[in-house]
Amino acid sequence: MKLPKLRELLEAVNSLVHRPYTSRFPFEPHTPYPSFRGQPKYDPDRCLGCLACEEVCPTEAIAHRDLTDDGTPRRVMIHYTDTCIFCGSCEAACIADHQGIRLSADWELSFFDRAKESFETIDKELAICEICGSVIACRDHLRWIAERLGELAFSSPTLYQTRLRELGIIDPILLEAARSFGREDRMKILCARCRRQTTLTTAAWPQGQEAGQGLT
Amino acid sequence: MPKSVISIGPYHPLQEEPEHFQLTVEGEKVVDIEVSVGYNHRGIEKLSERRSFDQATFVIERICGICSTSHPFAYTQAVEDIIPVEVPERAKYIRTIIAEGERIHSHLLWFGLAGHFLGYNTVYMWMWRLREEILDVMEILSGNRQNYAMFKPGGVRRDIKPEDIPLAIKKIDSILPTVDRLKKAILDDPVLHARLKGIGTLTKEEAIAYCALGPTSRASGVARDVRKDAPYGAYDRLDWNMIVTANGDVWDKAVVRLLELYESIKIMKHCLLNLPGGEIDLNLKSIPPGEGIGAHEAPRGETFHYVRSDGTNRPARHKVRAPTFMNLPTLKATVPGSSIADAAIILAAIDPCYCCTERMAVRSADGRKLYSGEELLRLSREKTSRIQKELGKR
Repeated sequence: MKLPKLRELLEAVNSLVHRPYTSRFPFEPHTPYPSFRGQPKYDPDRCLGCLACEEVCPTEAIAHRDLTDDGTPRRVMIHYTDTCIFCGSCEAACIADHQGIRLSADWELSFFDRAKESFETIDKELAICEICGSVIACRDHLRWIAERLGELAFSSPTLYQTRLRELGIIDPILLEAARSFGREDRMKILCARCRRQTTLTTAAWPQGQEAGQGLT
Repeated sequence: MPKSVISIGPYHPLQEEPEHFQLTVEGEKVVDIEVSVGYNHRGIEKLSERRSFDQATFVIERICGICSTSHPFAYTQAVEDIIPVEVPERAKYIRTIIAEGERIHSHLLWFGLAGHFLGYNTVYMWMWRLREEILDVMEILSGNRQNYAMFKPGGVRRDIKPEDIPLAIKKIDSILPTVDRLKKAILDDPVLHARLKGIGTLTKEEAIAYCALGPTSRASGVARDVRKDAPYGAYDRLDWNMIVTANGDVWDKAVVRLLELYESIKIMKHCLLNLPGGEIDLNLKSIPPGEGIGAHEAPRGETFHYVRSDGTNRPARHKVRAPTFMNLPTLKATVPGSSIADAAIILAAIDPCYCCTERMAVRSADGRKLYSGEELLRLSREKTSRIQKELGKR
């Protein structure tokens, strides 16, 4: 009976002279360990807007919205911090060397207004089909594919035109040849549907005609 | 003596989780207990059938906040059983490390709660402080205190970095002196002896008949542990002992958990120091049609998962059986014969985890006299102080 009491007394004295174990949080900032998984953050320069992260996200915390009506067409990548479970699937799936979206050390994510503060966004410039105006992909994404494919990219005008226009190289002979056959649409940046139709049809399309009209 | 019925629940006043016990009492003595489960339908199994095999791990992880690795462990093994495939050696060790860390913090949590129920708030504070150290280790190794997100079918998601290991080992070692002190404090304390010994006894025959699992069965002398019986992960490569005691009372259940702490610390340290190199993930591309089972010895007993695949990227059927589902009925054998003051700790002795179990069906409750949490705590603590006084007089 005596011994346990002594031990408890020792612990009590120990606790009296020592500081509380808990941290003085609001007054002292909390620094998590280096491997801590915090809020995922987009890197606007490295992100390609490929939507791989949206595809794998188990909680649908990542969404996107394509704005094509006003100004430069752009894709808004949205990350909902309140739905996110910090699992890191987005980082693992990121095609840009896992750098487009990365887990940060941010853990303090409280906010007052859910409608306004519960998400973070970045804008990515979109490539738009030059015939039908539908969304192809983000410009960075097309460029990334063209770079990865190397010379193979020249099998797709959409890819090499994106690349060439980026570099400011426009081949007038090529364009003129296409135009003289009435097929300058072949040299445009097109969505997959319009690409298929311009490739498959043999009809010469006057300028300004909608793709697919000659197909029926 | 007239019998009366006391309802505890459908929301457990102490453990703050949904379940419903109806104690039939004669005066102070409990003569019968009725256990009803199924008050909280969470739709986890259906939810996991709507996610891909890889994404479902995160839903499964959130079945339970305490054993958040047990369920993914069993689930990933079930998925790997469909193919079937062996995960890389390093992944096995990492899985074992995370699973054992979870066992340590879960047992510490139970000790804290048990101390709280008995009126030993010192134990409560000690244990939850120790638990913080282990949660820190988990944060160092996996990136989060809970919901480690380490498991995926075919391996683990992230590697344990060599530079993190020394700090983790240091933190694990730092809890050992306090665990030693706790061991002595518990084993020496005459009040705890008087309070816990001989109450809520589950005999070996009853443990077998009720299919008790985990520490509940091992305390009754039934040597039942998935880690030994059907080794998985790295358990067959390690040297560790299964803790089995004979009496089956609440005291023995506490002792089993206490000694398991040491085994888990031993396993965790050994794995961290002898982590083999190599790949951590098989990068499974597709799961063929078929069915598989997976079992893991969670802190509370065997967690069992069944997964059926139809060749798509989603489970066609996913069934979860949590250990508490098997352990709860043992209360039918342990509670009758005890006093109401003992009931609180006997109910807690199986370390029930309702959030694991309560996913199945919805039942309505008929309102009867409810014991509030404070009342149960008061009864339990009054008995402890009564024993303290009696022992003090001697």
